[in-house]
Amino acid sequence: MSLCQNRLQEERKQWRKDHPFGFYARPQKNAQGVLDLKVWECGIPGKEKTIWEGGLFKLTVTFPDEYPTKPPKCKFVPPLFHPNVYPSGTVCLSILNEEEAWKPAITIKQILLGVQDLLNDPNPESPAQAEAYNMYKKDRAQYERRVKQIVRENAAP
Amino acid sequence: MEQLPLPTSLAEVEQLIRALYQPNPPETISKIQELLHRLQRSPEGWQLAQSLIAHPEDNVRFYAALTLIVKLNRDSSGLNEDDAKGLLENIINWVIQSVADGTATFVVKKLCSALVTYFMQFSHLWPSCVRHFAYCLDLGRGTPIEGLDDALSADILASKLDRPKLRVAIWFATLLVEEVGKTDMNAPRYIQVHGRLTKNGSDVTCLVARGFSPPQDNPGLKIQGEALSCFQAWILYAQRASPIPELVVPLRQLVAPAMSCFTDEDLYQPTAELFSDVLSNYSSFFTQEQYAALSAMFESPWAAERYQQLIHGNHHEDGISFGLLLLAYGDAKVQELMTNTDERSQRFLGSLSGLLAADGYLMGDDLIFVPALEFWSTFIETMIDNAFTEGIETNSWRPYAEQHLKTVITNCWRKIQWPPAEIFAEWDSTERVAFGDARKDVFDMLQSVFTLEGLGLISFFADLFLQSLGTQSWAELEASAFCLGALSDCISDDAKYDHELSKVFDSPFFQLLGQAQGPIPLRLRQTGLALIERYCEYFERHAQYLPDALNLLFAAVGDSVLGGPSARSISTLCSSCRSILTGEAGAFIRHYQSIRSAQVLDSLAEERIVLSIASIIQAIKDESHRLDMFGDLYTILKSDFELAIQLKAQPGLLNLSRPDFLRGLDPPNPQSVPPVEDISLQMTLRSMRCLASMAKGMQDVKEHPVDLDSEPQTYHTSSRLASLQEDIMRVLVEVQRTYSTSGEVVEIICNILRAGFSETEPGPFVFPPNVVTSYFVQQRFETPRVGTLLSTACSFVGSLYRGPKAYVPSQLAELFPWVVSLLQALPEPEADTEISQNGIIFVDKVMSKYPEILFHPQYSPLLEFFFLFSLKVLDGKEPLPKGASAEFWANFISLKPSSLSPPNGPALGQTLTSAMSHLGPLLARSLVHNIGGNAARSELDKLCEPLKKLVAQHPGAQAWLEQAVGDNKGMMMMPFPGRERVSREERLLWLRRVISLRGARQTNQVVREFWLACRGSNFTYVS
Repeated sequence: MSLCQNRLQEERKQWRKDHPFGFYARPQKNAQGVLDLKVWECGIPGKEKTIWEGGLFKLTVTFPDEYPTKPPKCKFVPPLFHPNVYPSGTVCLSILNEEEAWKPAITIKQILLGVQDLLNDPNPESPAQAEAYNMYKKDRAQYERRVKQIVRENAAP
Repeated sequence: MEQLPLPTSLAEVEQLIRALYQPNPPETISKIQELLHRLQRSPEGWQLAQSLIAHPEDNVRFYAALTLIVKLNRDSSGLNEDDAKGLLENIINWVIQSVADGTATFVVKKLCSALVTYFMQFSHLWPSCVRHFAYCLDLGRGTPIEGLDDALSADILASKLDRPKLRVAIWFATLLVEEVGKTDMNAPRYIQVHGRLTKNGSDVTCLVARGFSPPQDNPGLKIQGEALSCFQAWILYAQRASPIPELVVPLRQLVAPAMSCFTDEDLYQPTAELFSDVLSNYSSFFTQEQYAALSAMFESPWAAERYQQLIHGNHHEDGISFGLLLLAYGDAKVQELMTNTDERSQRFLGSLSGLLAADGYLMGDDLIFVPALEFWSTFIETMIDNAFTEGIETNSWRPYAEQHLKTVITNCWRKIQWPPAEIFAEWDSTERVAFGDARKDVFDMLQSVFTLEGLGLISFFADLFLQSLGTQSWAELEASAFCLGALSDCISDDAKYDHELSKVFDSPFFQLLGQAQGPIPLRLRQTGLALIERYCEYFERHAQYLPDALNLLFAAVGDSVLGGPSARSISTLCSSCRSILTGEAGAFIRHYQSIRSAQVLDSLAEERIVLSIASIIQAIKDESHRLDMFGDLYTILKSDFELAIQLKAQPGLLNLSRPDFLRGLDPPNPQSVPPVEDISLQMTLRSMRCLASMAKGMQDVKEHPVDLDSEPQTYHTSSRLASLQEDIMRVLVEVQRTYSTSGEVVEIICNILRAGFSETEPGPFVFPPNVVTSYFVQQRFETPRVGTLLSTACSFVGSLYRGPKAYVPSQLAELFPWVVSLLQALPEPEADTEISQNGIIFVDKVMSKYPEILFHPQYSPLLEFFFLFSLKVLDGKEPLPKGASAEFWANFISLKPSSLSPPNGPALGQTLTSAMSHLGPLLARSLVHNIGGNAARSELDKLCEPLKKLVAQHPGAQAWLEQAVGDNKGMMMMPFPGRERVSREERLLWLRRVISLRGARQTNQVVREFWLACRGSNFTYVS
């Protein structure tokens, strides 16, 4: 088995043994019902005591063949209103950038916790969509109302 | 912190050590610590340790041992070989002395640690440390290393040691491997240390083997626990060190003695942990014979008793280690267990499926279920892998495996049943969530089983469903419905399962579900309604069940718990079954109206219902009927706006006993009544969102064949539709005017407009282009969310391009000055990134298809402003508009007169050439400014695009860039940030490389290097 597949098997095992509260992460099934370890469907809950609390946001994590040398790509489906999420839904986060802070030792759990942290703690240095970025900078009250609306639409079951 | 003077006598030092271990204020403690540290590090440290080591007090001795470790780590290089050998003898002597006079364990262990530290510094002097140490222990004193007789085997030595001494030797062996294991085995400093450690492995095995044997000399002193820890530490090391036969082979000899510890009550727990750990993490450590021995052990009466305790016992008090051991064994041997059909394997698998049926409720009592389910998920995945590689039909083991799966599924189905409400009420939130998570795990597992079993699995649960319905066993019925729901993702679009599903959906259950005061408990109602939603494709194929299903859902819409999920189910069903339901539109509208007049729905649920009804209306074929229905629904919302606007003008109208005013309370039950203005705004926003849902529902979901070559047809709007559109637009404008400071209103209007942009057929929200344009151009810079309006305008341009060409130029010609006026109103180009980014994107979009509009002489002042504006943005710091500007310039540079439409081509070509001669130097300067350090690393690729185009397509590029890097006879225009870091030669060399690459892909790399040089080395990433 390739390095990528081995590592993903191990990640899966570790995730099953121990994963943070309220999250889910599982490989997608292909048309024949066989697991595709290289595409995971994940759910990120908003952190308690933040405006994101109560929401559960779907994220697709796609692993390249070169994983773990190269980082996976994380994409909110549907795209999320957030300063560091591109209009396509792709998350802009330093630990997911090969040229920045990605390290092969970073686990799926750390990635998902990192994305959860990002929700309430956006990084204004690397905006990815103008709408959320602009509102976050210029009208925080409206930004928060909008986030609360999104949380309602994506309420955790 | 002021420094205390160093103590001058030993007595003073002892005093300080005592004070350190007595209750004292933190600042005193840290002062003492600091002083003692200084003492330890001083040249007198060795002397100090030696003087204190024989002290009668344990704390003082401990401190002496610690001092030794500190000295060994810091000052070993100061010792010559003779000193070092002497020191070793001394330490060993102290250990032996301490054991003899009954010193506390923690001191002896600390001295052993000092020996380990010694080994790490002087392993070349003490290669056979374990055997030598055992030899000294036996002799009762430290002896020179050379005195060790090579013929004296560790085996013999171990057998000569009494229990207390053997225990110390095992402590040492454990600490040795743990400490050395913490260092990097590939670091040059430690390679040899690891090599010598490994050579001690077989000696350690002799000690540990002796430790496992029952004590004859001292029956009171059991040291098997120590032996187990030591064994485990060495296995862990052996695993890390990757297979080293000289280590693994002797260690394996300890497996049998370690196994014999299972039946010792005191040793059971650590033994089980050791074996589970090695089975899970290092399964290749055990030999086939050892696996066979473990397997035989699982068949023993002892194991049978343990198993029964696990199944019927208290997991919180007694633990689940036996279950975890079985599962770890199963995991390690899953492939063999699956394919072996012998009785022992079958019995073993039977015991593993039995783990899913322990007594008690999940999570509260039963802790083994989740780990057991994990094993079975692995088992199922292994089966699937096998099926796809070898073809499952031919396997003789398959019937056996399937039999186990059946037990697994039945056990899971039992386990996920909800407890009675009174028991559930006692659970804390963690237990409740964990229960829900375990159900989700079962959900996943069932989907995997479906891959193997298909229809059989559906029938299995359909039968359970009917059976539980017959006996009115609600918890069982709920679990069956839940399991069926799990399978919907696998089968919903395949009609071959419909026969089984019809058994379920045709059952009396759904009539019971409809009874408001019926017998069905809330949780089962929830699952039942969810089941309808999950199988909406089934209802599409079997329209006869649809009205009943929808009636059920509508009846639940007002419920505080079921309302949200029901509304979601309604919208899923209505959207996918819209064409079947067209006859129901009127009834649904009446239903909606009557619910609304009686109560205030959850706003999100209401939006979903409106969306559902709109999607049915959309499917009505006859236009007049469709518009009738649309009008009915729209009128309800329109009267909301009218009431809200009226309320704003006459606050006295407020009457909070009426649901249509209560709609304006958000949250629904505020502590105090908010100001009337807020209520009025909330009423509007709520209904505006419903209107946006209506626009979304009216979108066509069918895929029409699109002929890319033919010209789209011109818009044909009937007069009735046109007047409806006028009315909607009037309402939107009126609402925006009334709530002129609300950004949310603007945002929702944008959503409504966008919903129409994607449509190809006429519809109430598919406004004629000139209507949309004139809406846009009325918006001023002061309008809230004008950036969002601009981004909507960009989408509008996209939709214009997909439509008939005849409309486009006039709309663009009207919009362009409006867009530029907004950019002009910005106090700074970066004052609002959304406006500047979308403004630039808009112009770029126009330029890509209709450059003649931009370059019309009439607009030249606007265009001039825009060029300079976008250059300022390019020079700036905001990544988003900057990226848009870089893209704009790359497109602008590539604009070729030949690509322009013939009548304007030649004239435009001239305009472009003359524009470029002015703009080229400015653009070159701006690009160099960025590449020379202003840009962020992530922006470089985007900035390379215009640079590459410039170099490849413009003969003037070289001169412009030379000027920009500051080398045109000293006529530099603006120094770029990193200019001081790169010499003139470097700059010119860089430029030559860029020019010679002529826009090739490698330019990006060259740019990156230059940027890095300008930024300084701090920005290189450590790889």
